Amino acid sequence: MAWIHGWLGLLAGWILFAMFLTGTASYFRPEITQWMQPEFRAKPVTSAHAAETAVAHMQRVGADDLQWYVYLPDARTAVTRVFEQRKPDPKAPRRRAPEIVLDPATGDVVRARETRGGEHFYRFHFQLQLPHPWGRWLAGLCAMFMLGAIVSGVITHKRIFADFFTLRWNKGQRSWLDAHNVSAVLALPYHAMITYTGLITLVAMYMPWPVTANYAKPADFAQAAFGAPTERAAQGTAKPLVAIGPLVADAERRFGARVATLVVRNPNDAASTVTLYRHANASLNGRGPSVTYAGSDGRFLEGAGGVGPALATAGVMLGLHVAQFAGPALRWAYFVLGLTGAAMVGTGLLLWTAKRRKPGATPFFGLKLVERLNIGVIAGLPIGMAAYLLANRLIPAETANRADAEVATMFWTWGAVAVLQVLRPARRAWTEGFAIGAAAFAVIPVVDTLTTSRGLPGSILTGDTLFAAFDFAMLAIAAMLALGAWRSARSRPVAKIRKPQSETVHA
Amino acid sequence: MFMHGRILKPGPFPKGRTVRPVVWNMALRSTTALVGGYAAAAVLATLLARLLPIARVEATSWGMVLSFAIYAGIALWCFHEHRVLRVAALVWGIALVGGGLLWLLGVRP
Repeated sequence: MAWIHGWLGLLAGWILFAMFLTGTASYFRPEITQWMQPEFRAKPVTSAHAAETAVAHMQRVGADDLQWYVYLPDARTAVTRVFEQRKPDPKAPRRRAPEIVLDPATGDVVRARETRGGEHFYRFHFQLQLPHPWGRWLAGLCAMFMLGAIVSGVITHKRIFADFFTLRWNKGQRSWLDAHNVSAVLALPYHAMITYTGLITLVAMYMPWPVTANYAKPADFAQAAFGAPTERAAQGTAKPLVAIGPLVADAERRFGARVATLVVRNPNDAASTVTLYRHANASLNGRGPSVTYAGSDGRFLEGAGGVGPALATAGVMLGLHVAQFAGPALRWAYFVLGLTGAAMVGTGLLLWTAKRRKPGATPFFGLKLVERLNIGVIAGLPIGMAAYLLANRLIPAETANRADAEVATMFWTWGAVAVLQVLRPARRAWTEGFAIGAAAFAVIPVVDTLTTSRGLPGSILTGDTLFAAFDFAMLAIAAMLALGAWRSARSRPVAKIRKPQSETVHA
Repeated sequence: MFMHGRILKPGPFPKGRTVRPVVWNMALRSTTALVGGYAAAAVLATLLARLLPIARVEATSWGMVLSFAIYAGIALWCFHEHRVLRVAALVWGIALVGGGLLWLLGVRP
């Protein structure tokens, strides 16, 4: 099992490292988005009010749409997001209407710099910037490798209890093994949970066969499982939509929690419906119940959500992965555990090279390749992520296509670092890569102060908690990378330690 | 513990013949684990979903929720069992027999 553990980890390791890092950042997806639109300040409103203003806006711009999907703001999200599904136009090519971002207080389109915000890290986490559906398949394959590596890793560790207390610094390969064991073993329940539940988030794509065996129409499963309302065709007679606020208030009474999403089908038709979904922070189950009202007179039509143990299990698995239920303290715990995941994968990759390096001997090609890929990903990706955040502040707010330019900045920077480090000796490349990363993250609060009015001293004085916390987090990440640079500069190649027979070294 | 370790040991095998069988052996084993393991796991999860005598939405969900555990178990077993032909026969056998059974059963009425 030790042998298969090493190969599973090596083959999927670099992608898994990137998935862990961007996934960890995604725990703060709404906060990152807020930070990346500093012009827009959240004014807390009730969901009923946000729903009213959003529907009023959509009545002006898309009164004859097929559907409106409205994502209401909450304590962490400042804006209302609307996706409209337009009536198919036989002349125009079929394409998705762009997302509409509204100020919840007024219902006007938000005037702020165009950005993908935290959504970019979140999407990269499982789509890997590849065309659909290949990114999701590759992410799933790597997650499956990870699951195999975790199970075989546990089998490898006969001394799992002793590993809790073992970390020997400055001992070369032995230290990488201990660091790998400590980061993996301490957070093992988290790693196992996040890997399995990650696969479950896309189970309908990866494993649709149980559905096809039980349902002639797969849509029937979605309806039974996910609380989609009964399909009601448009009648074709116009009837205006009732006021949406009282419906939201009624649904919140029924849920005992906030409404997160509302879906209006066939607005302004006599057969229109309004479906309201509960906010995911109300329960460990990531799939909340829903209620549906008739859009023409507001009467209650149906409620969905009282599900059995299997669907509840699936819902809780989803909830555990996306962590919408978590309050601030638990969310930070998730963040730290996510970093231990990146550390586990990273130290595992380093262990692979440390184990094969012979003092004095010329490294063979595979060793050099793995080492360079390690530097390019482990030291390079953080630089790319910092470049994405810096680009948000440095590209002028009015530039056309600036959201795409921000994303391109991240990948060009990462790619350039990954290529240019080859020109440096490997040990220097580690140190310099981490040092550049540390500098890039340390510069973010400075650039934020210079280019916006919400920079560090100001945000603390005005009680702008989100901006202050974000900038401090950047400084903390810079400190971590600086520590990495310092350690990699100090470490000398240590002569290989003779291992006792009982020691388990994987790979 | 592994096949791998065994074959590379200097032993009864003539020296020139050791490399290629290892490659073929490993290719068959890996393909069986990755592709055959998926097929067998999908078939077992689907049989579970099809045959569990509970509400169909619940049975479907149990099949989906458990499928990755089944896959991981089968895939790792492929590398644990020494005899590669036994690995291939069992995993592909489950996929084919189970798939045929599902085809005969058809969609749940």
